Amino acid sequence: MQIVQSTKKLYRRLTWSWIPRSDKEAGDAIVKNILLHWFPHKVSKGSISWWYSLWLGTMSFVLFVILTVTGIVLMFLYVPSVERAYASVKDIEYVVSFGWFLRAMHRMSAHLMVATVFLHMVRVFVTGAYKNGRSVGTNRPLNWIIGLALLICTLLLSFTGYLLPWDQLAYWAITVGTNIASAAPIVGEKIRYFLLGGNTIDQGTLIRFYVLHVFFLPVILVSLFAWHMWRIRKDGGLAVVDREALSQKPEQVAPVKSKTYSLLGITNGTTVHVQTRMVNEEENSLPSVPNLSRRIWLVTLVTMLLVMVSSIIVPTPLEAPANPSVTPNPAKAPWYFLWLQEIVTDTTIKLGSFTLNGALVGGILLPGILLVLAIWWPYRDRSSINATGVWFAPERKRQNLIFLALCLFVILLTIVGTFLRGPYWDFYWPWEAWPTTPIRF
Amino acid sequence: MKLFRKHHANAPVVVPSASDRPGSRRAFLQKFGVGSVLAAIAGLGYQSIRSLVPNVLYEPPQVFKLGLPQQLAEGVTFLEDKRLYVFREGESYYAISGACTHLGCTVKYTKLNQVKQVEIDGERKTVTGEFNCPCHGSKFYGDGTNFAGPAPRPLRWFRLHIAPDDGQLVVNMGQEVEQNFRLTV
Repeated sequence: MQIVQSTKKLYRRLTWSWIPRSDKEAGDAIVKNILLHWFPHKVSKGSISWWYSLWLGTMSFVLFVILTVTGIVLMFLYVPSVERAYASVKDIEYVVSFGWFLRAMHRMSAHLMVATVFLHMVRVFVTGAYKNGRSVGTNRPLNWIIGLALLICTLLLSFTGYLLPWDQLAYWAITVGTNIASAAPIVGEKIRYFLLGGNTIDQGTLIRFYVLHVFFLPVILVSLFAWHMWRIRKDGGLAVVDREALSQKPEQVAPVKSKTYSLLGITNGTTVHVQTRMVNEEENSLPSVPNLSRRIWLVTLVTMLLVMVSSIIVPTPLEAPANPSVTPNPAKAPWYFLWLQEIVTDTTIKLGSFTLNGALVGGILLPGILLVLAIWWPYRDRSSINATGVWFAPERKRQNLIFLALCLFVILLTIVGTFLRGPYWDFYWPWEAWPTTPIRF
Repeated sequence: MKLFRKHHANAPVVVPSASDRPGSRRAFLQKFGVGSVLAAIAGLGYQSIRSLVPNVLYEPPQVFKLGLPQQLAEGVTFLEDKRLYVFREGESYYAISGACTHLGCTVKYTKLNQVKQVEIDGERKTVTGEFNCPCHGSKFYGDGTNFAGPAPRPLRWFRLHIAPDDGQLVVNMGQEVEQNFRLTV
């Protein structure tokens, strides 16, 4: 017995520089740490409901974990050099044991993550979850902006990963993408030069995109993600919690005993009462473990299942090796940028002799305006506190409709770009056959 | 000014306010120290980013020889690796870039079955071929003038000349020329 006690003591001495003396101290230690501060002790029933958040944020995180794990394995197998990249991806696909599955999982998770992060943003908007509640010290608009940065980070991660197989699909999608960057006024060409490490997409570009893909962007994403989660705790949980607090009847609560130096303290016959809405903890909340953790594991399981099944069903394309002299017809950007490709096709504006390049209008100005609007919107939205954390609050009907219309427009353009565009970017219905065009000329 | 302050063993430890006041040596050294660290970080940041801007490019040369002019086939020749169309009309030669002015995809040249009469900048011209871009559907006449799709400018024309040493046809892809440029040999 003595030995066990001493071993425990020794272990503690070796592993702790400080030992909490009570549960409260232990809890405080966790709550005060940015990384451990994700789980509250208790969660409200509303915030763990399946139908409020749809768990899209959790799904995105699980997808990121899958991407990290499969990505690390792929890093051992992939060679980021122009001569070897395509061959190494081909090896991963056809030679390495389970290589095809790893690559398919990495690819499917990346596509799904773009979708879930986007849908998560849509959910937060239509539930008005970027709005502050009554609590002090909340800053949900900031968390909305962090979320937008996370969305951009996700898109950039996906885009930089797109070049790595060094096949035709990759090469031309990146050609179109980086030329959009060069349409920016004044600095555009310089940005493209810096991004490509030269004037053409070559070894310099491949290694740049590789380092961005496996190091810089993931580090930025993880930091932003930690900040995102920390802010959720600082904001008092999901926005639905504020809604729950509002639905409680106000009650009289005795003030906390403290010293008072105001006249109230010495005036006879006056008692200080605080009218407040208290969430009945016993009735409305549950311990995080196991209620929240169980659901997180369930979402993890479902997400993994979705990724695995779709990786088996959906074929992972690997086209011919990159060839700068042959542009595939049609040449398409990754699907989540096809709405932009559709816009850059239609927005070249001619005003007399002056021509505004569609790449500038559709590739930079329009998305830029949308982003600025999205950042600004939480500060512009003046709906009442009752519209916080509610699906389709009647008060926010008009802005929800406009937002959804914009989202539908983007989705519609994506569908048109994906399924209805054929050679020379002409419009074809799915049942119409594409004309055969010679690949080389 | 005292260089070293004497401490009495029994004296209470207080923050020496005199040395912290603006203009004092300690305040100066503090600012100098912080400034040096910031300058060092800025310098490191600059050199890291500057190292990523290439000083030498191992890209294919912009000026290259095509062979003797009379050996070039009549009509259009496409140089795949240079993305360049070289035209020969009897004894005159000109070169048009194959990179679309919208987003840089390679355009495809098609000879028209029927010769077309079109008006370009108020001038009637005969068009025998067209360039089509596979990425966003831009269209250009045979002389590179854009007439449909999102391309904002005509295709670029490059200077041709004859090499003085061996008489070969030389393309200079670093030098753009007007659309009426013709090299007559």
